[in-house]
Amino acid sequence: MDIAYYPGCSLKSSSAIYDVQNQRVFEALGIHLKEIPDWNCCGATSAGKVDDFLAIAMPARNLGIAEATGLGEMIIPCSACYSRTLVAQCQLEKNPELKETINAELSKKISGKIKISSILEVLLSAVESGMVAQQAQKKLKGLKPACYYGCMQTRFPFKVPVPDNVENPQGMEKVLKAIGIQSLDWSYKTDCCGASSAVNDEDAADALMARIMKDAVARGANCFVVTCPMCQFNLDSQQNRFGPKHGIRERLPVFFITEILGLAMGMGVEELQIDRHLTDSTKLLKELKLI
Amino acid sequence: MTIPAHEYDPEKARSLMNEVSERSGQNLSACYQCRRCAAGCPVGEETGYVTPDRLIRMIALGDRRAALENELVWRCVSCYTCGTRCPNDIQTARITETLKKMAKEAHLEPLRPKIADFHSSFLESGVRWGRVNEMEFMGIYEMKGALKNMKRKDFKAIAEELKTQTDFGLTMLKHKRMHMGLLMSKGRKEIQKLQKKAKKQRGK
Repeated sequence: MDIAYYPGCSLKSSSAIYDVQNQRVFEALGIHLKEIPDWNCCGATSAGKVDDFLAIAMPARNLGIAEATGLGEMIIPCSACYSRTLVAQCQLEKNPELKETINAELSKKISGKIKISSILEVLLSAVESGMVAQQAQKKLKGLKPACYYGCMQTRFPFKVPVPDNVENPQGMEKVLKAIGIQSLDWSYKTDCCGASSAVNDEDAADALMARIMKDAVARGANCFVVTCPMCQFNLDSQQNRFGPKHGIRERLPVFFITEILGLAMGMGVEELQIDRHLTDSTKLLKELKLI
Repeated sequence: MTIPAHEYDPEKARSLMNEVSERSGQNLSACYQCRRCAAGCPVGEETGYVTPDRLIRMIALGDRRAALENELVWRCVSCYTCGTRCPNDIQTARITETLKKMAKEAHLEPLRPKIADFHSSFLESGVRWGRVNEMEFMGIYEMKGALKNMKRKDFKAIAEELKTQTDFGLTMLKHKRMHMGLLMSKGRKEIQKLQKKAKKQRGK
């Protein structure tokens, strides 16, 4: 099955490992990711804070390109890109005048409707079809993950059809269950990691990340599993900053869901580039004899 | 904090309320001050007395200055928890996003310049190249901060920031998480044209 693919900027830079993992894992599941040509930045949260028009116009151009591929569905693994693109699609549908203004400058115009899917929606359909269980047969015993969703998987600035429970989503838990992993029940799965405030408002972000980490540790988690590159990067890169500040001694690996799936499919650490985390992630895997 | 009752001017209040409602796409008059937004706000401890419900009240009272210049407007992380929990479907984070833009248009100095600089540097990079280049936009963001510190003659802050960023950069390099090449999209021309067109329309 072919599916349109929007990687977004972070999957081509600091989270390039997630791009590689998505390509490999979905290929193994029989889903071919077709990167849409010449895509542009979605504007992320910054556009919403700086320029409302660009917040719609930037993802709108990508929608036009995606539609021109003729494919019926586009996967967007980054939560911010997913949220912004889905919101732009819904806003344009509600506002034909705005759509006309934007279309006038686009070489690939928006006309129909392509389904915008998060990584979890596509993975869940692969769980349902039995492909996940068939391809991922290695048992990963000993992992006690806290599935962390962050904000943008279920909360949106404008009304859109939300694919999971807003306060207690279950998508990641379902995918992990399909490969025999029982996730922990915990309270901070949709709390905010602070996103860009980790750079521009450090104290606020550190307090947010510490709360998330403390609950995960208290519940007995030995790792996080995430789908959002921003959440992954923050929790992965800042543990040595917010940890000492908030009295947290533990350090937890922050795995992309694609890393867990890849491991269960028999892929190696280097193939999945798990050795490029800022908080060591291979130590736990070695301890549990998973690699 | 905000204007006393005897200074309340219904005309002024209505015009501010309408402006924010229209631009944010939120029906502010639906707020009945239940404070579920305040209870769920993850940065509540950082924003002092200003909670989302109180921000709406400032707008309803027509207190433009208080509404544009407060910690919540700047430190809101746009997690959208308030709006998800609002029984009247008001997405308060859209209000803080709108007030940031209104503060800029009113030429007010941002209460948190680092936050304002970050988001403008990010978006400018995205529009300039069609894709965001992390190294480039972070460099510009850091330069903006350094210039402000320079004006204040705060050389200690400049040195500290330089050390923090160098250490972080080295960690990123060590783990091969730093991207060196330039990301670009030819479509940036279309985006730039759209931006110009929208600016012209707004100017009218």
